[in-house]
Amino acid sequence: MTQRTITIAKIQKGIVIDHIPAGKAYLIAQVLGLNVLARETGDIIAIGINFESPSMNRKDIIKVENLGLTRDMLNVVALIAPMATITRIEDGRVIEKHKVEIPDTVGDVVLCPDAFCITNHEQVPCRFAVVEKKPLTLKCYYCETEFFGPLVKYKEKS
Amino acid sequence: MDFEGRDLISMNDLSREEIDAILTKVPEVKNHPNKRNLCKNKVCALLFFEPSTRTRTSFEVAMRNLGGVVGGFYDASITSVVKEESLWDTVKMHDGYGFHVMVIRHPLKGAARLAADAAQSPVINAGDGPNQHPTQTLLDLYSIQETQDRIDGLTVAMVGDLANGRTVHSLTEALLKYQSCRLIFVSPRDLAMPRFIIDKCIKAGPKTGLSITEGSRIEDHISEIDILYMTRTQKERLKERTAAEKFRSIYRLEANMLKDAKFTMKVMHPLPRVTEIAQDVDSTPHAYYFQQARNGLFVRETLLALILGAVK
Repeated sequence: MTQRTITIAKIQKGIVIDHIPAGKAYLIAQVLGLNVLARETGDIIAIGINFESPSMNRKDIIKVENLGLTRDMLNVVALIAPMATITRIEDGRVIEKHKVEIPDTVGDVVLCPDAFCITNHEQVPCRFAVVEKKPLTLKCYYCETEFFGPLVKYKEKS
Repeated sequence: MDFEGRDLISMNDLSREEIDAILTKVPEVKNHPNKRNLCKNKVCALLFFEPSTRTRTSFEVAMRNLGGVVGGFYDASITSVVKEESLWDTVKMHDGYGFHVMVIRHPLKGAARLAADAAQSPVINAGDGPNQHPTQTLLDLYSIQETQDRIDGLTVAMVGDLANGRTVHSLTEALLKYQSCRLIFVSPRDLAMPRFIIDKCIKAGPKTGLSITEGSRIEDHISEIDILYMTRTQKERLKERTAAEKFRSIYRLEANMLKDAKFTMKVMHPLPRVTEIAQDVDSTPHAYYFQQARNGLFVRETLLALILGAVK
């Protein structure tokens, strides 16, 4: 069987989010609001889905041109893709490479699953404490509900 | 321990030492020789977005007993909330009037925390939906200690609607801070204690010696219990009214069910009761719910005096 070789064009400056579980890249882009950011700046976002990977069999990859994403923003990636790696590129060269870390607190990127929580009724930015990293378990700062698994739903910025 | 200016939103914010410090202060404030002047010239806002009898009245009387005054509203339908004013704005506005402390009750979970973030003055949570009701929990703990001379090592049974009753959630989380308690949860399966609270109990077990039992009949455990904590089916939080009617008939305590109870066992209830405690229980030495409600006044006096810095 011949191996397909598909590459995403190199970027001169920006960030590569690699080792994303297959099928999760689009969600990450939505949660980080890359679409919105790119629309404002005109920079290129490349999303690769189902790339072959020796360690993961299949993986997704995101390349973000120019946009400055803070470490806090990038740690949000860890909630969806705990094994992801972040590579910062400048002048076409790798200047920093690190694994994402699950943060101790999560901001307004997740929805509280409790229908009676004030955050689902008023314009309040959500806040959560990470009470367990595996499985990822969050506690709402407001209503104190703890939840994990499929109840962790992300706010998607379109 | 200094409570002046502090919010009281959740029992999770208080350590055991802080809870014990508050409970120890209750007799001091209750019998304070200068009680009528402790909070003189202080104004307390009561922001009640949801109906309440005991909590509101006891806060009002507590503030008056300490020499202070109250303002605010008891019915959100006559305020700008009906004009869709946000909770944040309502609290900000009251904060601007210079209240020294605000007491809030709201039907939504987390509302008190949001109010505390909005307000400069300290906020006391008087119940945020089915979440927390810390002043109720403190008066429950005070009543438990008053009747049993301790909290550690007691067997506490909670009966009824454990899914929606915030008092039992708060009380359970508070008892996790004590040593070697045994908790018995008696409820229909549909109204069982939420899983995340059960998980917390299981997790706390090795450290505190806490154990839990889940059952469906009061009679099965009556002889082991020190505190029998009855609750009302939260009809207003249940989707089906008929379900409430069904559960009511099953979880009803009658005097003849108490014949095997320990002499010192006390029946508590956050009130209002509907049908879950028969009136013939009132005349038994086990009934303690009216003294418990009265303790609410003393505990709230103490909390107001501590938060307003009138006692240290």
